[in-house]
Amino acid sequence: MTTEPINLDGIYYDGRRPLGVNATLNISASGVTLTGREDAPHYALPELCVSPRIAQADRFITLPDGGQFQCADSALLDRFTQASAEGWVAWLEAKVTVAVLGIAVVMAALLLGYFYGLPKAADYIAARVPLATERAFGEEGLAWMDENQLLLPTAVEEGKQNLLRERFNSLYQGLAQAPNYQLEFRNAPRFGANAFALPGGTIVITDALVNLTASYAELLAVLAHEIGHVEHRHTLRLMLQNAAVLLAVSTVVGDAATLGVAAVPTVLAQTQYSREFETEADEFAFALLKQHGVSPDAFADIMVRMAQLQQKAGANEPLSFLSTHPMTDARIERARAAARAGS
Amino acid sequence: MTTNQEGSDPPASPVDVSRVCVSMDAPWDARNEQLTDILRTSAERPTLAEAQVRQVLEQGLNINACDGNRWRVLQLAEYFQAPMCIRDLLAYALREGSAALAAPAVKAPVRGLDIEFCGSARGYFRIWAVNLCLTLLTLGIFSAWAKVRKKRYFYAHTRLDGTPFQYLGQPLPILKGRIVAVVLFLLWYLSSHFFIAWMPALSGVAALLAPWVLVRAAAFNARYSAFRNLRFNFNARYWDGVCTLYAWGLIPLILIGGFILWKWQQPQLLIIAALVFAVYVPFWLARIKRFLVGHSQFGGVAGKLNISGGKFYFIYFKAGLLASGLSIISGGAAFVITKITHDWALGSAMALLALVPSYVGYVIVYAYMQTQTGNLVWNNTQLGPLQFQSTLATRRLVELYLSNGLAILMSLGLLIPWAVVRSFRYRAQCLRAQLQGEWSDFNGSEASSVHAAGAEVGEMFDLDFSL
Repeated sequence: MTTEPINLDGIYYDGRRPLGVNATLNISASGVTLTGREDAPHYALPELCVSPRIAQADRFITLPDGGQFQCADSALLDRFTQASAEGWVAWLEAKVTVAVLGIAVVMAALLLGYFYGLPKAADYIAARVPLATERAFGEEGLAWMDENQLLLPTAVEEGKQNLLRERFNSLYQGLAQAPNYQLEFRNAPRFGANAFALPGGTIVITDALVNLTASYAELLAVLAHEIGHVEHRHTLRLMLQNAAVLLAVSTVVGDAATLGVAAVPTVLAQTQYSREFETEADEFAFALLKQHGVSPDAFADIMVRMAQLQQKAGANEPLSFLSTHPMTDARIERARAAARAGS
Repeated sequence: MTTNQEGSDPPASPVDVSRVCVSMDAPWDARNEQLTDILRTSAERPTLAEAQVRQVLEQGLNINACDGNRWRVLQLAEYFQAPMCIRDLLAYALREGSAALAAPAVKAPVRGLDIEFCGSARGYFRIWAVNLCLTLLTLGIFSAWAKVRKKRYFYAHTRLDGTPFQYLGQPLPILKGRIVAVVLFLLWYLSSHFFIAWMPALSGVAALLAPWVLVRAAAFNARYSAFRNLRFNFNARYWDGVCTLYAWGLIPLILIGGFILWKWQQPQLLIIAALVFAVYVPFWLARIKRFLVGHSQFGGVAGKLNISGGKFYFIYFKAGLLASGLSIISGGAAFVITKITHDWALGSAMALLALVPSYVGYVIVYAYMQTQTGNLVWNNTQLGPLQFQSTLATRRLVELYLSNGLAILMSLGLLIPWAVVRSFRYRAQCLRAQLQGEWSDFNGSEASSVHAAGAEVGEMFDLDFSL
């Protein structure tokens, strides 16, 4: 510390009334004296506690007797006891280069994380969580949908069900998740012609879809697609990735959350992942079908029929940018290409 | 505190003045002797003495003295039978502090106080960039520090009557609060996706937790906000929160919860629920606002919010009409946009375009509710001698939000700090405070001083939940 006394001009508040008095802190080798208050108290330097630096704003020095001294920021205040260990953050904030670098790092982290890190991390975690742990989730969900009559008992006759189950069983033989598969038939007017994989390996197929298919090959094509979802652990991965995206987006946009712009990037980012998973399941299905002597053409056929049904029902083609499934045309095209490549 | 009494009698036994003076703290001795002299002469020459008393008081025999000293000054005045005007002056000065003496000793007229925000987009950008970068790199742990830094920036650059506010929060309690919040969020996320049967039980737990969260969050925000070395305070307890949230309208809430949880598919019940909701919610929100303002304190003075639910109801009713009108228009616009384009290549771009009218509609309704409820609450809030006047305009806020949204999207988020700062500045511009009385009407106790140890008690439970 320098020997000559240094004066800090500021305002003194006594802590009882919100009234300020012009005052001066006189810092010398022997300690600190507050002039402006009548008794001109004297303190030792470590007794004074100064509020953290933020931009160039005024800082507040808390005195041991409850008073407070407000003064302009100065390097001098670094010698005082700091109220909060935020000095290093303030140091970073003071540099323009740090801000620019920080933005660059954020952009790189977001892009890398979204396209590479997050899918890899989710894949890594999913590979280490046994599928059986998801079973409870799937059963819970199915029971809930049954109870609330979203799913009704099937009208498909026993014999056909058994036949289908047999084909289904032979389809997944030898796959990693083979012990976990289960096929459920349900009548679901709300879902239309559809099939979906629940967590834990249960696949539900609706009566409407069973009725729509013209051959077993077509049904197997749909089931192979759902098996693809299960084998690739899409439910768990999607859940992990979507949660991470939601957290990341709300972190980035959090400041502007009240402006209502957070929803757009979240939905877009999450949709992109779903589409990737659909494509992945398609590719898996084509390979599996060929392995069992079924042409991927069957997949294309059932897709065409589902699209026709949708058009007949008056539903528009969901706009592809926001839709979960890649545009049906593109999927059909890929199925045909896979069929040609195989034959 | 002793005040002068009309026609007070001289004390029965004479006070030994020298003893009184000696018993006082050293720095005050000289002044007390001076006062004693003045008072002695004032009995003879009142007009001269008044000026001298005033001078002595202004020099510092004032609020900084401990209570004992003040009391003795009055005793002295009575003992010497100083003229009434001097005793009045003393009593006033002791009550109000010496600063009040600088102004004429009459009730001050209404004084407008400036509320200004002097932060800049450039200044906040650096803080935002560091916050965002470190939060992402530490996978969210830094977010507690980020919140503190952001709050500090906005508090420190908001000045009331020339003095900035102070944010006293520390990152670690906030980090604890956030960990709790993240765990709760994960539970909710998992159960809403998979364990749907658990939802009623979880909703029950959430309902029990809600008053606690409300009270703790308000208390945290108040206790870590300070102005001129006085902390704000929030003095409600869990039970007060329960009463506010549930007491009056437990039945509508149960109805709503029940409908949402179990029978939401049935349209007629949904309509009943919506009706209950529409009638009940404005009154409920008014209750919560009254609760939050009424239990907030500054300098020993509690806030007061003089509004009934009726005014809220009116705002929400109009907002509802506005929303239905706008959704018809925006829905029509979206329909036209999607129908016009049969070209699928253009379809994806058009899909986004079709969302624009709905977004604009949403912003208009949101801004309307913000301005109306904001103005209503501020204009009816009183904090001791402080009153407020808020003049937010819906149109201006809509322009602000739309331009902000566009700028953020176009800049890929880089203009977020700019948008946040200009929104905040507009709000500060629209708010004015009026002081009807004196700052010294606020009288802090030890507990409200920033330094007080009492406020640190229960730090463990001061979890800040606002995400």
